[in-house]
Order: sequence, then structure tokens, then C-alpha cells
Amino acid sequence: MSVEIEITGLGKIFGQGAAAFRALSDINLSIGTGEFFTLLGPSGCGKTTLLRVIAGFESPSMGSLKINGDEVAAKGPNARPVNTVFQNYALFPHMSVAQNIGFGLKMLGKPKAEIDSTVAEMLRLVRMEAMADRKPSEISGGQQQRVALARALAPRPRVLLLDEPLSALDLKLRKEMQSELKRLQGETGITFVFVTHDQEEALTMSDRIAVMSAGRILQCGTPHDIYHAPTDRFVADFIGDTNFLTVPVAALDDQGATVTLPGGAQAAARLPEGMRPVTGEEVTAVIRPEQATLAEPGAGDMDGVVETSTFFGTDTHIHLKLADGQGFVLRRQNTADLAAPDPGSTLGIALGAGTLRILKD
Amino acid sequence: MATPPDSATGPEPDPQKESHGWKWLLSTPALLVLLVAASGPLMIVAVYSFLSPGNVGGVEWDFSGDGWFRVFFSRDIFDPENVSWNWANLNVFWRTISLSLQTTLICAVLGFPTAWFIATRPPERRALWLFLITIPFWTNLLIRTFAIQELLRGNGLINTILVATGIVDEPLQLLFSNFAILLGMAYVFLPLMVLPLYAAMDKLDFRLVEAGYDLYASRVRVLWHVILPLVKPGFVAGSILVFIPSIGAYVTPRVLGGGRTMMLGNLIALQFGQGRNWPLGAALAMVLLIIVMAALVFYLRAVNGEEGKRRG
Repeated sequence: MSVEIEITGLGKIFGQGAAAFRALSDINLSIGTGEFFTLLGPSGCGKTTLLRVIAGFESPSMGSLKINGDEVAAKGPNARPVNTVFQNYALFPHMSVAQNIGFGLKMLGKPKAEIDSTVAEMLRLVRMEAMADRKPSEISGGQQQRVALARALAPRPRVLLLDEPLSALDLKLRKEMQSELKRLQGETGITFVFVTHDQEEALTMSDRIAVMSAGRILQCGTPHDIYHAPTDRFVADFIGDTNFLTVPVAALDDQGATVTLPGGAQAAARLPEGMRPVTGEEVTAVIRPEQATLAEPGAGDMDGVVETSTFFGTDTHIHLKLADGQGFVLRRQNTADLAAPDPGSTLGIALGAGTLRILKD
Repeated sequence: MATPPDSATGPEPDPQKESHGWKWLLSTPALLVLLVAASGPLMIVAVYSFLSPGNVGGVEWDFSGDGWFRVFFSRDIFDPENVSWNWANLNVFWRTISLSLQTTLICAVLGFPTAWFIATRPPERRALWLFLITIPFWTNLLIRTFAIQELLRGNGLINTILVATGIVDEPLQLLFSNFAILLGMAYVFLPLMVLPLYAAMDKLDFRLVEAGYDLYASRVRVLWHVILPLVKPGFVAGSILVFIPSIGAYVTPRVLGGGRTMMLGNLIALQFGQGRNWPLGAALAMVLLIIVMAALVFYLRAVNGEEGKRRG
């Protein structure tokens, strides 16, 4: 896979002197051609700023940005082979749907016949043929979203940037548009850079995800890696539900560490690369709620007292209190004849082999 | 089968409807003011335009079309049968319309960047800039206009500097020209263009500007294809606000245009004053009214027509 976007040592500082705000720090990123790449993080983490830097609306304060091998950091948005789908679509209200879609091609100076045929093709692609002559104010939010997509795809950019494009849609429409986006990406083969704060959206749609916080990229990897092998406390906390346990290290070996769980039992835990704690040191170990199972009291790795349980249909979240007072959430798959555990009862918790991980602090 | 609604209790009294009986009374003060101050005088002017002039001003109460006739035509003093176009008046009409259009154009060209500048300041600073725009309204129009006269005079500031620096050998004739009138009117009416333009730009979604850049438009083409169409309502409102008072301007052409470069307002004043021909003055005033109404209808037609076309 060839590299489409190459970002090295990129930073962005807004303002000057005492009021200066570092929106992006030391961003290094390589996005492959045809990849569905997601920038994920809470609001204010810098993901939209990074997208705007790639689009050309903001110029980086330092570092380099290459698209298809060309340094574009000093170029304006109209000189980059990149188009944006804006969060609120930003359709031109004084133009029809067809004029909106054809705008980029018109500005590129394409002949009218080519514009007309591309617009027709785009309208077909987003299934909006019947709405070509409507004004943006005369179509629904979901339809505006499709037009915004078609408008950005029409000039055949090398990269399509999407700034939380689904956040204004209701749940059902959002699900629909998610698969629509994947279909469009497959059909066009264009590199997608997608910004979202919705971890589920990121996990289901992306080839790779970069998790951002406070202007930095904390971890970059496939959805599987990000979910199952978080290297950072923030990533583990932000993606999915996680149990954080503070436990002392009992022993170290070549494969990893052995930690002492609340209640005294010992369990193997994987160590992140480059971390060598000493015996007796307290570390943070994480495990996902669905990676633990219930057992008879005393038969698991540790015991817990049931505090509450919440029914979610497919599964039940059971909140337990461990021997040293730490909380633990366990997710149990439901069947019709399984009753919810009684609050106050003691249950055993079995940790799946190799599921416990130690995090860098 | 649906049962008809029980009508035994009769229709419910509608409080809204009931109060309509007297609510219109609330508008009577405004209606009275309009009647006394606007419609009344207008009727008088309309009636006067069909009467005969009195000897020392005023009117004689017998019907005559002479006032209207003399708006457009003139008779030879020695041979009343010899009728020709009144080129003096027609020239004033032409100059009035032409200068008003030019004023509107100048205000639009100067007002756009000004309004853009204000609209792109941080929100907390915009009020200050708008406040500065209104400063000219603080002093009397006549005083401001005389100040411009002082600048343009033969031995005024501009000519003194031009002569002293050797750029020209003798003072330029700046005052009492179309240029002086345009300068004065553009200065007076510029805020009336800036304010509605600012209002339109304030509502402009700047993401649309970004979308334009993103879709390969240069700055000039974003201005032309995105910004100008979207702030058009501001241009329409501003143009009406500038054009209408320009057509009827009196003080500016009087002070800066002198007696030779008259506009319609001055011509009307002349007939009611020195000319002592009130019916002619009244007929000219009616012509002014007709020009303004025609301009408005034309303008609204142009704007609405385009809206209709876009919707259709």
C-alpha cells in the first residue's frame, strides 16, 4: 500500500505569547492510499484542527505535510487534491443540488458536458437523482448529507476529509449513512480521513484509528489493536468499558509479570513494551468487562460482592466490590433462564487467560 | 357514522376574534400622524400642481395644466405657439438620476469592503466599529457639507496643498461640480449602505466560504460565486436606502453643486422660492415621487422576479 498522506513533526499553535494555545503537538502520521482512517478523541482533543490543517484551512506552525509525495503545508485549500465534507454540510443555499455538486468541477474549469455527466453520476451514486433541482433548504438532513458527500467526491479528490459528518443525524439514519460511507469508499477507492468522537462509529468503520487527546496522538492502530491492546490509560478508558485495577507486582519473568490480585491470588499480566516495573511496585492492570466470567465463590481468581446489576437485553452488567474495596464490572451474556444475581451475594470472578494487561502510567 | 358535534351550547366565544373589534384603535395615533404629515401634504401638492400660480407665490384657485406642461416643455416668450422641449428641466432630471445611480454605485463599492472588515472582526470589537460608522451623524448635515466645501474651495485645503507642492500651477475647479456633489452624497449616504451590508454579512456562514475554497475556487471566485450572491439582500436594501434620499437630495447639491449643477430638489425649491411658480414646483415634486416609485417597483420586480425563477 502506497502512502497517501505523510505527516512529520507537525504542530499548531494558536495565538501568541501568554495566550498561545498548543492545539497540536508532534503529530507523526502515515495514511495509506485507499485507507479508511479515523481520528478519534473527545471534543477539544485537536482532531478537527488536524483535519483542517490537512484541508488547508489552517496552516501548521511547524512540521511537514505531504499529500501523494507533494509538500502542501504552504498551499491553500484550493490547491490541494483534497475535499471536505463539513460537519453541518455547508451546502451553498443559493444553488440547486446539482449546482452544488458541480461547483468544484466548474471551478476546475471542466467542460460543461463533463460536469453534467459527472453530476449525474454522483447523483446516482448517492441516490439523489430525483432531487437534482431542489434547493438545499428543500431537502432533509440526511439528503443534505448525501449531497455534501457527492459535492466533495465529484472532483475526484485523492483524499476525502469528513468532519463528524454523521453527528447531526438521528441514530437510524446514522447507521444507514455509515454503511453508505463504506460502500462509497469501496466504489471510489478514495482515501477517507474521518473525524469522530463516537468510538463505536470509529471501531465499526475504520481500517485504522488514531486516538487523540490534548493535541497528541496517543495510539494509532487497527480497531482490534486499539480495543484489545491499548497502550495508554486514556485509550483504554476512552474506547469501550474497562476495569482498572491497582495491583502490586509479585514477580517478573521473560513473558511478562505476575501480579497479586485483591484477595491474594496471583495472575499473569502482559507488560507493555519498554516497561520494567520492580517487584512490589503498584501498577495499573486493565481487563474488559466481557473478558471475565462468573464462577462459584472461591473457584475464580478473586471474589466479589454483587452491588447492582443492570439488564441490557443481550447482556447484563454486574457491578461487584472486590476484597480491597476496588470496583469491578463484569458483562455476562444473557440467556432466557439466567436470573440476575442477588445484590449482596458473593460470586467468584474468573479472568480469561492472557486478558489482563498492565498499562504505562 | 360520525355524530355531528353537539351544537346546543353554541359556538365557543373566541377571545382573539372578539378583541379584534377594538384593537385597530391602537394604530390610530400612527394613522393620524401619517394622514396629517404625509398623505395630507401630498394631496395638497398634487392639487396645487393643477392650479395657476399666484403673483407673489401661492396659487390661484383655477384649474390649469400649465405647471405639468412646463415640467417638460417651454414656450417661446415672443411666440407662444412655438413649443419646444424644456431641456433645462430634462437635464436636471437626467443629472439627478445619473448622480443618484453613481452615488449608489460608489457607496456599494466603498461599503462592501468596509462592511466585510467589520463583519470579520472579533464579535466583541464589531460594536465599536459600527459605532464609529455612525459618528458622521453626530453633527448637522449642513455643517458637514460646508466643511467639505471648505476642503474643495479654490483656496481650500486640497488646492492649497496641490499648489504648494507644485503638482498643479493654479487651483483646480473642484467645487460646484458633479464631482463635488458625488463626493458629498457618497460621504453622507455611505453608512446607509454599510449597515444593511454588515447585517447581511453577519448572517453569512463562513463555512460556505471555506467550502468554496475547498472546492478549488480562488479568492476572487469565492467572492463572486459564494459571497456576493449570499449578501445580495444587503446590497438591495442598501441601494434602496442610498438611492431614494439621493434622488431627493437638497442640501448637498445646494452647497457643493452651486447654482449651475442643480438637482431635482434644488429645482423644486427654486420654483417655490425665487421662481414663484408653486404649481410648477408641485408638478416637479410629483415627478420626483413618480421617479422614486418607479425605481422601487423596478428594483423589487428585479429581486422578486429572480426569487420566483429560482423557486420555480
